[in-house]
Amino acid sequence: MISRKPHVIGKPFPLIEAQRKLTGVTCYAGDEKINPDMLHARILFSERPRARFWLRNLDAARNHPGVVALLTGRDVDGRMGHTVADRKLLAVDEALYAGQPLAVIAAETPEIAAEALALIQVDYEDLPATLSIEESLSPGAPAVHPDFMSYRGAEKLNAEPERNIAHALTFVRGDVDQGFAEADVILERTYTAAHLQHAPMETHGGVAQRQPDGSVTMWMHVQAPFLQRSIIAGALGMSPEKIRIITGCVGGSFGGKVFVSIEALLAAIALHTDGRPVRLLLTREEEFKGVFMAPAMRAHIKMGAKQDGRITAIEATYDWDVGASVDAAIFHLQAVTLAGTGPYAIPNVSVRTNAVYTNLLPAAPLRGLGVAQVHWAIEQHVAELAEILNMTALNLRQWNLVKGGDHLFPNFVMHASGLESCGVLAVDAIGWRPETPRPAEENAADASVRPGVGRGMALGWSPIILSDQCGSSVTIRFDRERLCDVVVDGVDIGQGLYAFVTQVISFELNIPVEWITVEPTDTANYAPDWEASYHNLLWSMGHALLRATGEMKKQILSYVAKVWGEPISNLDIVDGEVVSYASRRKLPLLSLLEEGMGEEKSPPSFSVTATYRPSNVDGSIDSLLQSFASTAYAAEVQVNPETGDLTILQLAAAADVGHALNPESVRAQIKGAMIQSVSFTLLEEMVFENGVPISTDFMKYPIATTADMPLQLHPIVVEVPQRSGPYGARDLSHHVQVGAAPAIANAIYRAVGVRIRDLPITAQRIYDALQEKRARESAVR
Amino acid sequence: MKHEIRFIINGESRSLTVLSQQTLLEVLREDLGLTSPKHGCSTGECGACSVLLNGEVVNSCMVLAAEVDGADILTVEGLATDDELHPLQKSFIDHHGVQCGYCASGMLISAKALLNRTSRPHEEEIREALVGNLCRCGAYADIIKSIQVASRARR
Repeated sequence: MISRKPHVIGKPFPLIEAQRKLTGVTCYAGDEKINPDMLHARILFSERPRARFWLRNLDAARNHPGVVALLTGRDVDGRMGHTVADRKLLAVDEALYAGQPLAVIAAETPEIAAEALALIQVDYEDLPATLSIEESLSPGAPAVHPDFMSYRGAEKLNAEPERNIAHALTFVRGDVDQGFAEADVILERTYTAAHLQHAPMETHGGVAQRQPDGSVTMWMHVQAPFLQRSIIAGALGMSPEKIRIITGCVGGSFGGKVFVSIEALLAAIALHTDGRPVRLLLTREEEFKGVFMAPAMRAHIKMGAKQDGRITAIEATYDWDVGASVDAAIFHLQAVTLAGTGPYAIPNVSVRTNAVYTNLLPAAPLRGLGVAQVHWAIEQHVAELAEILNMTALNLRQWNLVKGGDHLFPNFVMHASGLESCGVLAVDAIGWRPETPRPAEENAADASVRPGVGRGMALGWSPIILSDQCGSSVTIRFDRERLCDVVVDGVDIGQGLYAFVTQVISFELNIPVEWITVEPTDTANYAPDWEASYHNLLWSMGHALLRATGEMKKQILSYVAKVWGEPISNLDIVDGEVVSYASRRKLPLLSLLEEGMGEEKSPPSFSVTATYRPSNVDGSIDSLLQSFASTAYAAEVQVNPETGDLTILQLAAAADVGHALNPESVRAQIKGAMIQSVSFTLLEEMVFENGVPISTDFMKYPIATTADMPLQLHPIVVEVPQRSGPYGARDLSHHVQVGAAPAIANAIYRAVGVRIRDLPITAQRIYDALQEKRARESAVR
Repeated sequence: MKHEIRFIINGESRSLTVLSQQTLLEVLREDLGLTSPKHGCSTGECGACSVLLNGEVVNSCMVLAAEVDGADILTVEGLATDDELHPLQKSFIDHHGVQCGYCASGMLISAKALLNRTSRPHEEEIREALVGNLCRCGAYADIIKSIQVASRARR
C-alpha cells in the first residue's frame, strides 16, 4: 500500500543549527579564520557630536612597528547609502555625530592596532549641534545636512533638509476636521519612547581579504548580505561583483546587522593591505557607541469619539529621531505610517510620520520596526478614552476594530484576522474579565484584586511589507553527490530559517530531512544586482520555496514518467520513492540518482531555481503591503506605591500567525519577544551626555536577565489562516513585540492610578507620577 | 612577562606559555582553538565566555591565563562524551533552549555548575544560577525548561 508520510507542516521540527550551536561548533563573527597571519583592524571614532576635527600624528601611527595600513577620509572619500547616501564612509574635516568613524587601521596584532590608534591625536573645534527632535525642529536650528539635496538618491525622499526633516510620509482618509466636529469627546496626548540599542550578544565584526584580482571576500555575520554588498560597492566605487559576502550564523541582529555600519571600513582597509585576511571585531563599548541606535519617538495623538464609543477621527504625528542618517530608517517609516491608527477602522484619519535628523548616532530599525512604539501611544490613548466614555477599554476596542473586508488603503482590503481572538485569549490567560474602569482606589477595594495590583491589555497590528526591489530566490539541486542541496539568499539569524527551508522541502518533495543540506548564504551564488529580502522571510522565501519544490517535483516525475511510459499524473513521490498510483511501480530516488534508469546510461541530476518578487504596483505606501499580523498582550502587575517598584506577575501574549508551521518554534519566538519587550519597556534607554552616548556597557544599558522575567508567561498561538501566505501562514518575528509596553502601562494605571507616557517605565517615573498625583489630590482637599 | 602554565582542559593535561596580560578567554580561543566560550563584553557582565574553573563558573574574560596554573577547566567542547551529547545539550535541542545561539555555551556551563551542586533545582534556583548569563533573544523561559527537564532525566 502506498501511503503518504505524516505531515511535517504544523508539527514539531528541530532547529537544524541547534546541535552545532550547543556543541560550540557554530562559527560566529569572532570565530572566523583564526590564524596567526591574520591582521587586525581598529576604528577611531569621533568623540564629539558635531565638530571640525584635525588628526595629528598620523605619520607616527602609520610608522608604528606592525601597522600595515591606515586610512582616513582623505584617503577614501566615499558616501554610503542604499536609498540616500547620507553617510560618509569616514568623516572628512567635520564630524557629524559622536561615534562617526574618523580613521581605520590594520596591524599585526590587536594590541599594535590599539597602540597606533592611541598615537593619533584628535583636535576638535565644536560646532553648533542639534541633539533632540525638539531642537532639530525648532526655528533656527542648525541643519544637520545642509547639502542634502546633492546626495545620491536625495530626490527619492520627501525631505525638508533646512528643517531637519529627512523624510516624511502621510496618510489621509476622510476629513479629520469633520470627524472632530462630530465627536462628543476629544482627547489629545503626547507620548515618547527612548532611544534603544539592538545590543546583540555577538558584536559586529568579521573578516575580509583582498583577492589577487582586486576583489574582496568578506566573511560576515550580517542579516542582509545582499543589501550590504550593494551599499559597500557604492561606498567604495566598486562594482558589486567585486564584493563577495559569505554569511554564517548570526549571533543576534534585531535589525542592527541589516544596514552597513562598520563593514565598509573593513572592506576598505582589507583592500589596502597585502592580501592577508583582516579581522575586525568591535568591543562592547564600540558596539554601543559606534554602530546604530534605534530611533526615539515623540508621538502626538488627537482622537475624537462619540459618546456611544465610535471613534470618529484621529490625527497622529509620529516624529522619529533618526540621528545623522535616515537611510536605514526609511522602511521603518513606511511600517509606522501604515500602522499609525492602531488596529481601528476610523473613518477620518490623518497620520504624519517625520524622520528628524539630529547630530546623534544614525538610527536603524529595531525588531518591531517602530510599530511597538506606535502602539505605546495608541493603546494607552484608547484606554484613557474608554475611561472618559465610561466604557471598558476592551469594548471600545471591539467597537472600532478593523475587520475583514475593510477597504483600508487604496490597494489593500483587510483580510480575516485573529485580532479579536488574540485580545480575548490574552485577557483570559491572566484570569481577567475586564470590567468598567474605576479609579484605582476602588480597585483596591475589589476583593478579586489585591492592593497595588492591576491588569491591563493592548491590541496590536503590524503590517507585513516587503522591501521594494527585493525578493527571495532559491536553488535546489538534486544529484548523486549532494543529494538535495539548497542555496538560499536569506540568513539564519536565530529565527530558524534553515529549519523552515528544510521543513518545506522535506514536506513538498516528500524526502527524508537527512538528505537536505542548506548551504551558507553567499552572494557569489547570485547575480551582482540581486537584492534579497532580509525580513518577513516566511512570506517571500516561503513562496519561492513552494515554486522551486513544485518545479523540482515536476522535473523528477516527468523524467521517470517518460521512461515508464506513463502520464505524469499517475506519479507521485512518497517517502523518497517515485511511485505510480496506476501501475504500482516504485523507484527509490536514491537508486535513480545512483544508477539512472531505462535506456539512459548516466544517472540524472536535477536543478531548479525559483524566485519570488512582489510587484510594486504604483510606488504608493501600501503597494508592497501583504497583510497585517495581529497580536494582543495582557499584563498583571504589582506596584509598590511607596517606591514605584514594579513586578510583572503575569504576562500573556497572543499572536495570530495564520498557521503555526513549527508550533514549538513559534511559541519559543513568542516567549523570547515577550522577555525582550519587558526589557525594552522597563529597562532600556540609551543615554547621551551632550550628544555622546554614555550607555556603553550592560551596567549602564541593562537588558533583561532571568531576574527580570515576569513570574508567569502565557504565550498563545492564534491561527486564522492567511489565504495569500505560504500554507496560510504569516511572519511573526517583528509583530510579537507589539502591545507589551502599553499593556503594562495600562495595568500600572489600574494598579495605582498613574499614567506613564514616556518609555521606559522606570521605578523613578512611577514614583514621580505617584508623588505628583498625591500632591494634586492634597491640593484638591 | 611570560609564564609557563600546566592545566587540565576538558580532561586533557596541557602546558603552555602565556603572557601576563593574556586572559583565559584569549588563550582558550586563540591558542587552543576552543571557540565555544564567546567574546561578549570583556567586563564580566554578559557571561558568554563562561567556563568551569575547578568546578566553579567564571567569566574567562576576567581571569588571567597565568592564574590557571594547576587548574581543571571545562568548556562546552568537553561536555559531550565520545558520540553522545550531554543530557543538557540534548535537552536544550529538544526544548528550544537556543535561538541565535551566541549565549548557549555560557548557559550550558552555568547549568552544568548548577546541576553539579543541586541535582534537582527549582525554577527559582535556575533563574538565580543564570542571572549572569545574558540572552538577547530572551530565550530564558525555554532555557530554564531545558535545564529542568535535563535534571529530571539525570535521576
